[in-house]
Amino acid sequence: MVIAVILVALIFDFTNGFHDSANSMAGPIATGALKPRTAVIIAAVLNLVGACLSTEVAKTISGGFFDDELITASIILAGLVGAIIWNLLTWLFGLPSSSSHALFGGLIGAVVVGAGFASVNGWVIVSKVLVPSIVAPVVAGVAAALATVLAYRITRRTPSGHSETGFKYGQAFTASLVALAHGTSDGQKTMGVITLVLITANLQATGTGPQPWVIFAAGLAIGLGTYSGGWRIMRTLGKGVVEIETPQGAASGAATTATILASAHLGFGLSTTHVATGSILGSGVGRRGAEVRWSVARKMVFAWLLTLPGAGLVGGLAALLANFGTVGVVALLLLLTVACSLIWTFSRRHRVSHHNVTDSREVLVLAAASQTTYVEDPRVTTTPKPKQKTKKAKAKSAA
Amino acid sequence: MKIDWGALGIVIVVSISASVLFMILLASSIRLLSASKVRANQGGSGAVMLSAGYALLALAALLVLFCIYLIVPQFH
Repeated sequence: MVIAVILVALIFDFTNGFHDSANSMAGPIATGALKPRTAVIIAAVLNLVGACLSTEVAKTISGGFFDDELITASIILAGLVGAIIWNLLTWLFGLPSSSSHALFGGLIGAVVVGAGFASVNGWVIVSKVLVPSIVAPVVAGVAAALATVLAYRITRRTPSGHSETGFKYGQAFTASLVALAHGTSDGQKTMGVITLVLITANLQATGTGPQPWVIFAAGLAIGLGTYSGGWRIMRTLGKGVVEIETPQGAASGAATTATILASAHLGFGLSTTHVATGSILGSGVGRRGAEVRWSVARKMVFAWLLTLPGAGLVGGLAALLANFGTVGVVALLLLLTVACSLIWTFSRRHRVSHHNVTDSREVLVLAAASQTTYVEDPRVTTTPKPKQKTKKAKAKSAA
Repeated sequence: MKIDWGALGIVIVVSISASVLFMILLASSIRLLSASKVRANQGGSGAVMLSAGYALLALAALLVLFCIYLIVPQFH
């Protein structure tokens, strides 16, 4: 039983990796600072490294959220199933919803159904999940906006070619840091869950942190997941919300990393997705003339609001099933397999991979910032200023 | 159990100041490196600006390393 839960936890970690690789690498791929393949490999390695850095968030999950006297391995399994299914569904629709909230939602739902409301430490969840989940994206957004403004102001008289190249490296660098931070923050969530299972199975003392092999396994799973790549979400995040130039990319990466690492260090179960989106929006606000697509942003916010209750519902239903003992657990695992393969089949119909991640029609219009995508259009490439390009591209799309 | 506003405050201050500081260093370094190139193209010597630019770049990298050093428990 414990082994089964650990395996499912690692599967969740894997889906977390490919769901969230977009967060770090969408920007540099969109601006052409990194090639898709290279970006994903770097992100995978750094996720693994990042996962080994800290264990504060893991301790929050294994030690603070739930009353571990009342929780059983099958309840945790149910929570994980809820989280995985929710993660895959949002991935199918290309929504950058939060894997972390999927996990928390699934677990909370399962625990409430399986062990009752009393076993959830409500205040810990409010203090370590809900409040940070609102504050952190705003902070990241403000930080990114300030950094963007500064970047443009300082390099105002620098020839645009030079600053473009310079910030390209900067963006690639900060994006790698985001991957590192993602490993630190999200890798720990799986560690926390596995540790929670070990504690409930009395294989580990209450209140202790994750063991080394758990840390490594979680890091490896998230790294592999990242390597397999979440091209679908990358499309929404890299080009859908706001046009990004390399200085903005560098700024948003720096802001995301700083926010995530600082919060992870203090044990907040933060959503990397929310923070990354917040700082990308912030970098859009920070550059004059940049167009922020608030409608897309609003859609994302709805997806976020849905995630906790949605995953909670799936987790709760799964817990109902898991309460039937061994038969229920086996049925649950079967169900998970079926759901995963169904979603996988659906996703094959409209593949988004590293071949076409930047070339959907919608993306082309928004790609105004990255000149590379436009080379086919002579009218556009001959215009000198990037701002004019944007207008022409828009006019073209309207026609 | 109450909400830990202190920790949230730390997150806010640290995140914003770290990203802003990093960006100032990076952007200034890019500006200096570019200026040195321009100077060199015009026949002058951009050596001072070049080294200053790389120095700032190194500072930015140090800043990042220091921040990571702060959060890894093994180093303390």
